[in-house]
Amino acid sequence: MASHTSRGLLSLGRISASALGLQRPLSRVTYATNVSTNYSAGKTGLPDRGAGKFARRPRRAPGEPRTEKMPVDQDWTAVYPAAAPFRPGSVPLPVRMGYPVKRGVPPEKKGNLELIKIPNFLHLTPAAIKKHCEALKPFCTEWPSALDTDARCDAHFPIKAESTDYVSAGPSVRNPAARTVHLKVKLSSLNLDDHAFKKMLKLVGERYCRDTDTLTITADRCPLRQQNHDHAMYLLTVLYHESWKTEPWEAEKSVADMEEYSWEDSPSQRNLLDTLVRVEAAGEGGGGGEEVREQLLGRREVQEYKDSVTRLKNEGESESTVMLYKEAVKKVFSLTRTYLMRRMEPGVPRRDVRYHPIRFL
Amino acid sequence: MALHRLSFRLRCILAAVVCIFAVFWLLMLHIFVSLKVCQSERQIGQYYTLPSAHIRTLFPHGLPRRYQLQMKTFNEASMMVRQPALEVISYLKAADYSKPSLRYLFYGLKGSGKTMSLCHTLHFCYTQGWLVLHVPDAHIWVKNCKELLPSSYNTSRFDQPLQASEWLRNFRNTNEHFLSKIKTRQRYSWTKREFTEEGSPLGQLVDQGISRVKSSSDVVGAVMKELRAQSGQPESNFRLALAVDGVNALWGRSTIRKEDKSTVDPEELTLVHNLKKLMTKSWTGGAIITTLSQTGSLFTPKSSYLPQELLGERGFDSMDPFIPVSVPNYSEKEFESCYLYYMDRQWLQHPQGRTEEGKKELIFLSNRNPSMLDRICAFL
Repeated sequence: MASHTSRGLLSLGRISASALGLQRPLSRVTYATNVSTNYSAGKTGLPDRGAGKFARRPRRAPGEPRTEKMPVDQDWTAVYPAAAPFRPGSVPLPVRMGYPVKRGVPPEKKGNLELIKIPNFLHLTPAAIKKHCEALKPFCTEWPSALDTDARCDAHFPIKAESTDYVSAGPSVRNPAARTVHLKVKLSSLNLDDHAFKKMLKLVGERYCRDTDTLTITADRCPLRQQNHDHAMYLLTVLYHESWKTEPWEAEKSVADMEEYSWEDSPSQRNLLDTLVRVEAAGEGGGGGEEVREQLLGRREVQEYKDSVTRLKNEGESESTVMLYKEAVKKVFSLTRTYLMRRMEPGVPRRDVRYHPIRFL
Repeated sequence: MALHRLSFRLRCILAAVVCIFAVFWLLMLHIFVSLKVCQSERQIGQYYTLPSAHIRTLFPHGLPRRYQLQMKTFNEASMMVRQPALEVISYLKAADYSKPSLRYLFYGLKGSGKTMSLCHTLHFCYTQGWLVLHVPDAHIWVKNCKELLPSSYNTSRFDQPLQASEWLRNFRNTNEHFLSKIKTRQRYSWTKREFTEEGSPLGQLVDQGISRVKSSSDVVGAVMKELRAQSGQPESNFRLALAVDGVNALWGRSTIRKEDKSTVDPEELTLVHNLKKLMTKSWTGGAIITTLSQTGSLFTPKSSYLPQELLGERGFDSMDPFIPVSVPNYSEKEFESCYLYYMDRQWLQHPQGRTEEGKKELIFLSNRNPSMLDRICAFL
């Protein structure tokens, strides 16, 4: 009886629904008093419309989620064999995601749209990867046993060509990004002398990394990977040969073009030698010319000074390099005995500093 | 009878003296080192007072602004004896003045006490009777110039009459007693009718510059040239201390613009040109003490404080070889001393400022940086 009426009501309900599409809430309101209000735990969803005439088939209660029944040692690759959106009922982890309300916690995973929106890698667990590798093994050849260390690989195969393949499901299997080729070479494996090395650095510019001594040539001008690979090899060959050539205009290289600071012929050397020559002249009052300069250059303190200035300019500035420079300058001008060095030499009998005579005019 | 009186008097005097000593010992939380006692590393952290007469003559324009306010508040000028200044003073004591003068450069973080170290060293030189050429801040010569005249001596350069005349006035204040003793060695003609004859005292040259403001920059150049030529000569009996604060301004950029809106290079300013000549050309019988300053500098990043960063390539090559002296923040002992000084002067009014917790908070907030500590304590 109930089922018969419900079916009849259902048909009527459908017609009324199509006719009164927008007015459903209204109709709900109008007939609210006539509707039976016993929403038992099982019955959810729309209230009966119109005195039981438009009542829907009651929905079945959802069963308990699969996570309750999952054993701990299950095969996870069977749960997520391929990339799939996040299913809260299939993932037995108490994950929370989202911005918490005030004095609350992030919302739970059940019905959480944020978790569904983001990409997940539940299909790529280590166990899954292992299975993929096992499946791919029959198609692979063995790694040569002689190439067991990185150093050996670099020695035999100094040029490394890197390119990426893309796989995606779509109307076309082709991906234009697959045509790029990165060629990586260590410049130490190329036969370059000093001039060639510096010229090579100037020619490649940003493509060279000093820390790893690697030159990276990226080619993506041509439509096919093969063509890009050939182009990159051609570029490498041209760079190598060009850097060995010396052009006539390279003689115009100025101090500003130099990669490293060299102390010879620098203003620093000139200043120091000028000062020292004057010091010598004041002390002895004689001599001059080239041999004095040579003699000055040969002194140990001057060499130390040269090292400290070169280090300061090449390696950049830091407290330690500045201190080294200071010590070198003090040694050149023989000021080391005065202040700090006294404290640092415990063997030297300490003259009482307090009664150091003040020099008047 | 007389003996009895004498002994009684003696006893009274002795008692009085002992009382005074006891009071001194009890009241003095830290020792004020007198000028006469040589400052050595045993006195690091202690305060020494500069006599106010010295302040008026030596530092009409040299001290940092906040320190001047502190001087006014405490009614005395007390400076802490710190290691960088002592180091440079020891070099000055040990240097040979028949050899070319050495350059010393104070560098350090902002507010760590570079200008104060410079002033300390300068005060030492002044007490030794040296001639002091103090440029309080080289940055004011390369920015905010209200009047810029083309130089009469060299048409490619520019004069700054206001800054030059102000500097000359301060120079005259500082070195009154030298002005009559030093004689010029060259004849200077300022206009068709105004001359300064050879052999006239330096004071006349300086007065000429102050009264005729238009030629004051050239007068500054002439003064520097004379002093450079004469210092270290056997017949002259003075030593020249050149002190420049903010020396990185000389090789930096300027914000002064010409009439066609192009920027003026500092090299094109007469004052800067002459000062650079004084700093770089070799002369004997003195010392050059300088400071770096990022605070007033133009177009330099706030975090830079090392010499090469602030001086630049050109500056470093010009100053080379110099002795860089690092001025760090207060050490623990120095911080203690400063804290006790403020307590002694009743500067820390807040009750919590006197507790151990408060002291730890001060250390944390200021990171033992002298200027930060000064600013924080000003609120307490």
